[in-house]
Amino acid sequence: MGALDGKVAVVTGSGRGIGAGIAKLFAKEGAKVIVNDPGVNVDGSGGDAGPAQEVVNAIKSAGGEATANTDSVADAAGGENMIKQAVDTYGRIDILVNVAGILRDRMIFNMTQEEWDAVIAVHLKGHFNTVKPASVLMRQQRSGRIINFSSTSGTLGNTGQFNYGAAKSAIAGLTRVLAKDLGRYGITSNGIAPGAATRMTQSVPDSARQLRAQAGIAANAQQPVKESQYVGLREPEMVAPMVGYLASDDAWNINGQIFNVAGGNVSLSHYPVAMRTIFKPGLWSMEELDDAVQNVLMKDINNPAPPRDDVEVPGRDVPARPLA
Amino acid sequence: MATPLEGRAYVVTGSGRGIGSEVAKLIGSLGGNVVVNDPGVNLDGSGSDAGPAAEIAKAINDEGIGKAVANMDTVATPEGGENMIKQAMDEWGRLDGVIHVAGILRDRMVFNMTEQEWDDVVAVHLTGFFNVVKPASIIMRQQRSGRIVGFSSGSGMNGNTGQANYGAAKAGITGGVRCAARDLGRYGITANAICPGAATRMTQSVPDASRDLRARAGIGGGAPRGESIVNQLRDAKYVAPMVAYLMTDQAWNINGKCFYVSGGNVSLAHDETPYRTIAKGGTWEIDELRALVPSQLMQGTSNPAPPPADLDLPGRPVAKAE
Repeated sequence: MGALDGKVAVVTGSGRGIGAGIAKLFAKEGAKVIVNDPGVNVDGSGGDAGPAQEVVNAIKSAGGEATANTDSVADAAGGENMIKQAVDTYGRIDILVNVAGILRDRMIFNMTQEEWDAVIAVHLKGHFNTVKPASVLMRQQRSGRIINFSSTSGTLGNTGQFNYGAAKSAIAGLTRVLAKDLGRYGITSNGIAPGAATRMTQSVPDSARQLRAQAGIAANAQQPVKESQYVGLREPEMVAPMVGYLASDDAWNINGQIFNVAGGNVSLSHYPVAMRTIFKPGLWSMEELDDAVQNVLMKDINNPAPPRDDVEVPGRDVPARPLA
Repeated sequence: MATPLEGRAYVVTGSGRGIGSEVAKLIGSLGGNVVVNDPGVNLDGSGSDAGPAAEIAKAINDEGIGKAVANMDTVATPEGGENMIKQAMDEWGRLDGVIHVAGILRDRMVFNMTEQEWDDVVAVHLTGFFNVVKPASIIMRQQRSGRIVGFSSGSGMNGNTGQANYGAAKAGITGGVRCAARDLGRYGITANAICPGAATRMTQSVPDASRDLRARAGIGGGAPRGESIVNQLRDAKYVAPMVAYLMTDQAWNINGKCFYVSGGNVSLAHDETPYRTIAKGGTWEIDELRALVPSQLMQGTSNPAPPPADLDLPGRPVAKAE
């Protein structure tokens, strides 16, 4: 008796990495799975039917049920088609997991329009392209699970990933709206910010990590260097169980949350709610704000990437104003 | 600190009306020069009108200490974004801050939302942010100084019904801010986000009927209704001081943060860090998670839009008859 017996799932980007781990676990737990993956390179170029088919073969040889799909989530027709394939093949769609993603890292001042557009298209529009048709069906059947993939690159920030971080943070925002649009129909929407040693994270050169460390820029804590022993505790398959749990009937009332999942760690994320507040019954002046912001609102809050010592920064050497 | 922004140059997108116009006017009164960008579109992005930008630019030139020029470009195209940055450079030879306030609304429940409604909103808010930040960041990096402020929203940070496009785009702006902060902080540049609350043309477009529907369904969120007494303290002008403060030298070390600003309230948003953790030295079994997630991870949290009691839901404990 599996946790997902009789369910039908679409898992985007499940030909490799984290997605493949989810597809395999879902099948093991009794779900029928559409394994979507156009088999592109990390930057979105190319295409290969192999990865999706290999995962399908692995699922079938283990006694599970799965069908391959090589559509791109980046266009509306592709998203609709993979949902349609689930309905045509298995008669319904219970679970949608959006893992598909690409990387085009670049510092913001060098990032091209094409690098921005491509990453936004696959990650952000890709989520809408599958969620829209799935939500129509899930609303009609009054049940469903949507599990989206966000990232700490967006929810916390990361160097060189303005496109990816914006898309991933937007996915967290989308997830919170979906929770409210769809919760009353028995559908839950949650997000995962994963940490895992995959083809994607291994594309970050160690030199970039060293540069960040030298500059005192807070790095993505979930991304250790390649030779770190910690990598062995970050297998992509380790992300799958929490996704499986969220997809199960037991998780019917978990909605609108973002979970950090890496190795054996599963964390519930803080909502970005107000942490500290200053208040004035009227319009603030610059002087009043300077007092209250420096002494109360931002006290002991760090700059994640402070200016280099050799940059002349007006205001840096001015002592904070004492609280009036 | 009467004119802390004197001699500096700013681009404020969407500053022909509402919050943007208040930000532009305050910057002007603090000595800053402003490119008042606004194509004067309707709330849904349709139409165009040179009036709003020209009017605010004139108000700054008449009453402010700084000077202003109007700009009608759209932030939704890279050319538009680049052009308004170029205009600041042409006029004043520098760029000290870019504030992206421009935005449109196309509200719709996600299951009814069209691709066009999604694309238009993401183009103006999120790609619009990239379109101004990219050219601005090149100049600011060379100057070794600059301020970036992106307008996010509680709709994205906490979720709001009927705003999958807007909420996603707004949360995306916060993510972009966090990344820009890390890309640019070392060059003396800061990037921060504002989640404003104000009674404007935008918030007043929400029909009272939808507020009532949400309230009945137990779904939280959204701006107060038009006649609410709260709106007296939610004038758009209240949002401007914190934005202007982020432009000042004193704010040199405030970077990568998100602030809620509404009326006289200014709040620092919590980073989306892990709140509670369960850990295992290996791969979890679903049965283990079934036991630990509700009791440890989720304890005391609530579903923001719970299913109605009469909906047959597998997994939900059946209510005992009285």
